[in-house]
Amino acid sequence: MMKLCLRLSRAIDWLNEQVGKLSYWLILAAVLISTGNAIVRYALNKSSNSWLEIQWYLFSFVFLFCAAYTLLHNQHVRIDILTGHLSGRAKAWIDILGTVFFLLPMAILIMWLSWPVFVDAYKSGEVSTNAGGLTVWPGRLMLPAGFLLLVLQGFSELIKRVAFLLGMIPDPAEKDEGPTDEELLAAELRKQRGEAA
Amino acid sequence: MTAFLIHNMAPLMFASLIVVMLFGYPVAFALAASGIFFGLLGIELGLLQETLFQALPQRIWAVMSNDTLLAVPFFTFMGLILERSGMAEDLLDTIGQLFGPLRGGLAFAVVFVGALLAATTGVVAASVISMGLISLPIMLRYGYDRRFATGVIAASGTLAQIIPPSLVLIVMADQLGKSVGDMYAGAFIPGITLAGIYALYAAGVAFFKPAWAPALPLEARTFREANGSSGIPSLAVVSLISLAAAVAFAKYKYGAPDAPTDEMLVVSTAVGVGIAFVAAVLNHLFKLGLLSRMAERVTFVLIPPLALIFLVLGTIFLGVATPTEGGAMGASGALAMAIARRRLSINLLRQAMNTTAKLTSFVVFILVGARVFSLTFYGVDGNLWIEHLLLNLPGGQLGFLIVVNLLVFLLAFFLDFFELAFIIIPLLGPVAEKLGIDLIWFGILLSVNMQTSFMHPPFGYALFYLRSVASPKDYVDRVTGRTIARVTTGQIYWGAVPFVLIQLLMVSLVIAFPAIVSGGMAKKAAVNTDQIQIQVPEEVPGTDGAPLEGQSASEPGAKDANKDEDDPEKAIERAMSGKSEEPAAEKPKDAAKPGAKK
Repeated sequence: MMKLCLRLSRAIDWLNEQVGKLSYWLILAAVLISTGNAIVRYALNKSSNSWLEIQWYLFSFVFLFCAAYTLLHNQHVRIDILTGHLSGRAKAWIDILGTVFFLLPMAILIMWLSWPVFVDAYKSGEVSTNAGGLTVWPGRLMLPAGFLLLVLQGFSELIKRVAFLLGMIPDPAEKDEGPTDEELLAAELRKQRGEAA
Repeated sequence: MTAFLIHNMAPLMFASLIVVMLFGYPVAFALAASGIFFGLLGIELGLLQETLFQALPQRIWAVMSNDTLLAVPFFTFMGLILERSGMAEDLLDTIGQLFGPLRGGLAFAVVFVGALLAATTGVVAASVISMGLISLPIMLRYGYDRRFATGVIAASGTLAQIIPPSLVLIVMADQLGKSVGDMYAGAFIPGITLAGIYALYAAGVAFFKPAWAPALPLEARTFREANGSSGIPSLAVVSLISLAAAVAFAKYKYGAPDAPTDEMLVVSTAVGVGIAFVAAVLNHLFKLGLLSRMAERVTFVLIPPLALIFLVLGTIFLGVATPTEGGAMGASGALAMAIARRRLSINLLRQAMNTTAKLTSFVVFILVGARVFSLTFYGVDGNLWIEHLLLNLPGGQLGFLIVVNLLVFLLAFFLDFFELAFIIIPLLGPVAEKLGIDLIWFGILLSVNMQTSFMHPPFGYALFYLRSVASPKDYVDRVTGRTIARVTTGQIYWGAVPFVLIQLLMVSLVIAFPAIVSGGMAKKAAVNTDQIQIQVPEEVPGTDGAPLEGQSASEPGAKDANKDEDDPEKAIERAMSGKSEEPAAEKPKDAAKPGAKK
């Protein structure tokens, strides 16, 4: 049973890893589109509402679809002033309780409530009220879809914590996330300084 | 029991918020869950309507379509690319050489470069790490006092929090319902003043405690002319010419008394720097030998940051771009610069996008959590409860300001800036407004205050990053061959203390002299901001000066005026749901009218 769950967890982790790695390219796209909008408006005195709306569609896609990816990499901000020094097992318990009582209820409720909003928009073919704006339903779909990924990731984290407490896997919170940006920057500066000597 | 619950719902919610956040689970989810839990409880008790949660998708939709927050990933991405582009190293090396021969000069260079990095990269950690790895070893090598050296580095790094285009100011503007452009304009002078006070402190140290901040010895001055002169006179001439050009331009273009200060500063500086740049390029290309190496070098390293500042802040202040577009242009500029310097690899690009995506996600999710929480909290009149508490403080405006500043100062010890901004600021804003406090000024005051939390021992991030790069053990200096003692954590902590005091002095200065903030904006405030938007194209030859169609919603100045039209979805939803104020309840200006149905 637990073995099956762990396989499921690995599949979810894989899925959200891929979603995250693909989604983050949209940041570059948003940067270029927004720059283009500003230049075109200034230089040609033209602007298009759909190009303006695409910016925040991309932004929404990134933050909604990367929420699960961020959870997978344990990067959602915690206040660990009281609990930071606890043992790995105690922290696993915090995550289990938090997932069951905080994450899952809220994510399932929002997913549940936002689905009909999408269905309405899809059926009515709702279009943005801005002249020349985009069709609304893809935007509306992002909300339940993003929260679905988050719910899945919640289950995956739950499975991993339980498996850890049962002694089946090493502490998932101790997973090596590779060097941080700060460490990379420091390493590069040190390298250059070393070469300069 | 039920009666007790009904009457004390708001205080209970607030108390449980603190418990739930300290539990150690990600704040965003804990916030949202407690909002939902209390919402269900409220519905059960008949305090709230059963349809309460129907407003949830719409609330999140409002977060998604928020143009202002789009600036968060843009500026984050810009900073991440820029910090690895080599700009900081060039600046620190060159400016260090420029001021190094003076007593206290290296400290002064750190403050100056810190301010420049703040206006470009805007990442505290990156500034502190760069200065900790490049400037600190040089300062220690030539005998700087350790506390002074570490303190000035940590403090200069935190300037990124207050000098535009800081993320703090974007979020602050968003939460207070003000335009980011105004928040930037207001923060410009306080930010520069603060850097100025740091520099004054460094000058004071150099004067009264010369042993703490010695000048670089002759052999350490590398940019020398063939004949051994420093090349400073040549640089002075170039600077004077540029300065004269900038002042003349400012007089000519912005002679009118109602000209906006921020715009004048930015554009005139661009003109002056442009002239220096042309001179340096001509000198270099034709080997004229008119400029010293120092003059050429200084001009060349200052161009990239100043060009970026112009690209971002200049276009925002001129009204050419919205702050969001300013962020995007800055990010594109940073990419172009990194490519030009051959520093952009696919790995760096991925790394930057990866970090940006995760940061955006966790920041926006804290906001989502806060919105879910506030749906219930405002529903049970929690905002009125807070308002009542704060309005009854003795001392009116001043009493309120002192209490709020103390509160934020203390909370900042263990709350992240984003948590403070999304949970506390929306509650404080309406009260401040009722007391007749200008919200831009209020936001900047709190931003200066929160900046302190970055260098406050023992949790300050700036100190943490400085600790991570300062040598933890004794090492042999590779230039002099002498052994340099390790930097202790105590030295870093004590070094920060004078700067924390300066910071508190700055908070009181902003309270005592509100003109520091309004200096950049007062003249502007007299003019309708919408008109400014329309006037801008008139100054550009070749355009007809008509307002751009369909654009007003994303213009910085117009943002405020048509907040409601800004989001037609919101208005429609409101009309349909029949709950008149619910969706807008979290906007500070509407917060006094909660949507509670009893």
